Amino acid sequence: MSDALLRTPFPERAGAALKDKFLQEALKIATTKFIDLRKESFAGFPQGEALRDRARAIKEATLQHLDVHLERLADNVERLGGQVHWATTAGEAREMVLRLCRDRGVRMAVKSKSMATEEIDLNEALEHAGVTPVETDLGEYIIQLAHEKPSHIIAPAIHKTKGQVAELFSRELHGEFPADPEVLTAVARKALREKFLQADMGITGANFAVADTGTVVLVTNEGNGRMVTSLPRIHVALIGVEKVIPSMTDLVVFLAILARSATGQKLSSYTTLVRGPRRAGELEGPEELHLILLDNGRSRQIASTLREALYCLRCGACLNVCPVYRQIGGHAYGYTYPGPIGILLTAMLKGNESVRELAHASSLCGACKDVCPVRIDIPRMLVELREHLDREKIAPWTERVVFKALRRLLLSPTAYRLSATVGRLAQRPFIRDGRLRGLPLVFGQWTKTRDLPPVAARTFRERWKELR
Amino acid sequence: MTGRAEFLERIRREVSKTPGLFGASTATRPADPATAAETVRRELAERWPQALERFRGEFERVAGVFHRVPDLAAVPAAIGAIAREHGALRAVTWDPAALGFDAAPALTREGLEVVAARAGQEDEAARLRHREQAARAQLGVTGADLVLAETGTLILLSGSGRPRSTSLLPDVHVAVFGRDRLVETLEQVGVMLEALHVDPDRAMSGAMINFITGPSRTADIELTLTRGVHGPKEVHAIFVEAP
Repeated sequence: MSDALLRTPFPERAGAALKDKFLQEALKIATTKFIDLRKESFAGFPQGEALRDRARAIKEATLQHLDVHLERLADNVERLGGQVHWATTAGEAREMVLRLCRDRGVRMAVKSKSMATEEIDLNEALEHAGVTPVETDLGEYIIQLAHEKPSHIIAPAIHKTKGQVAELFSRELHGEFPADPEVLTAVARKALREKFLQADMGITGANFAVADTGTVVLVTNEGNGRMVTSLPRIHVALIGVEKVIPSMTDLVVFLAILARSATGQKLSSYTTLVRGPRRAGELEGPEELHLILLDNGRSRQIASTLREALYCLRCGACLNVCPVYRQIGGHAYGYTYPGPIGILLTAMLKGNESVRELAHASSLCGACKDVCPVRIDIPRMLVELREHLDREKIAPWTERVVFKALRRLLLSPTAYRLSATVGRLAQRPFIRDGRLRGLPLVFGQWTKTRDLPPVAARTFRERWKELR
Repeated sequence: MTGRAEFLERIRREVSKTPGLFGASTATRPADPATAAETVRRELAERWPQALERFRGEFERVAGVFHRVPDLAAVPAAIGAIAREHGALRAVTWDPAALGFDAAPALTREGLEVVAARAGQEDEAARLRHREQAARAQLGVTGADLVLAETGTLILLSGSGRPRSTSLLPDVHVAVFGRDRLVETLEQVGVMLEALHVDPDRAMSGAMINFITGPSRTADIELTLTRGVHGPKEVHAIFVEAP
């Protein structure tokens, strides 16, 4: 995300989103629809719950031997004639792609939707090096033309109206196009078909990589994933190290729950298994396959706070149910990965400092954990993250002082009892309509946007003495 | 640039530091995939009518068009009807050997210009020529290696005489299959993929496997469902009754 945007504090970014009427409407419609589709799809799928447990166990077991699985994956990709590259940082990954472009004379690369390439800002680097990157997922294509960033992991352009898309296409593709999704889709099909046939390189991420067989697995609905892995002469797949799974038997467990969680489909239109470059006797397919394994801060978390975030399948289900995401959308988060899981992934990739504000952009209601196909305990990690921010003195000093005081209070029964009495007296001037409002000092930060129930006239402890 | 050894060493170090590991295991692979696959096939030899019904229901739910013909001789007429409905003039097909029958003569009689891929073609000129032909064709005719009932999915392996573009570039994709291709569940597909992987004859046959569940679709503009973004706008499955 642009630095200019990030210089705006999060509350202001969120405030702007809240005032954007269209965004509010679009978010409500989109997230509600996704929630319903998901619910419906799991309702008719009794084995879904057991499969989610199974999938979670597979992710955990794989992480426990991640080195072994990665080695096996690399060996098998190489056995099939592919080349494996190891990128510790985003910069290294970018450099690898650029070097391939330079060495092979690549002028244009077609891309299927990949959060990993967003994460390393690959498009900017390619453009800078004179290579034209073309996003081919319709949503990604729209936001690339508009010079924006994705606002949802699986529906990157949900913040745009069909009218805006029509205007954008008319301007960028030189035509007069009506605000009709069907027509606009046909326009994109035609424009992008040419690119697929011309491009020298196809760039993808992957949903999974199967160690046993050296297979890169792509799940798409539009068919662009198939195009970019079938037509250009070079295929580059960039994947986070956590995408590796052991076997085909494991793969089908994930396939059974991934699309259901994301869009409510039983399977997405296309699941594409790429087993190395084109084989002898095969007419089509790339002559070269490069698999770039990206660490970029992931391995640091294997034995740390955010370990579970490495289970993430990038389905987007936690975004749809999050009361914060539903209000502010993806852009206000300011980083590649929005929503509850996005906060954790941002902390993983960019460091804790980057989420000092975002760590609090959650009500800890737990809806994200409930819908996560692999049951990632996002609320627990958010709390731990807040604790880290406090300990590392990244959190603002006011916050740290308040929490320190609160800790003392809660640890001592006497202090706690006393605080109730003091609170009861001190709160009097601020009670209106039976709620606490407009508190002074730092407490005002809370009551500016929310109210609080007042301290009860008699506490439970006082009543308990009589009750027993 | 980081080398493989250094990269893996870092991962190994972090893995070994992990505190409080709990027992977790991956899915259990079949000990003998070939035998497991054989068992699945045997079971389905009995249950194919149920599997077919289920496939039909799910396939139609994802906007697939299902056809049923008595034998291979009736396939060209069925394809011809689809072509007429779309005003299609050109078709590409897999190699007759991969397809199990030669569709070209009958389809030509139906008025279609037909290009069949040929096994063994793999030079650059042939590649570009075929791509051009597939991009111009309105109809692509393939077989299906597995037909998955649970989700209404056609599973196609690429390979010699089975170009990837046949089921991708034309507006309409037609897949022809018989009862021996049916499986019921994704779990069974897992078994079949494990078996494929250990089968020395087939493991290296083609580099791509595609699961196709209905036509290409998107909902990226205001969540309006639209078909035929990049891939086919329509998918037809023709079931051939005669074993």
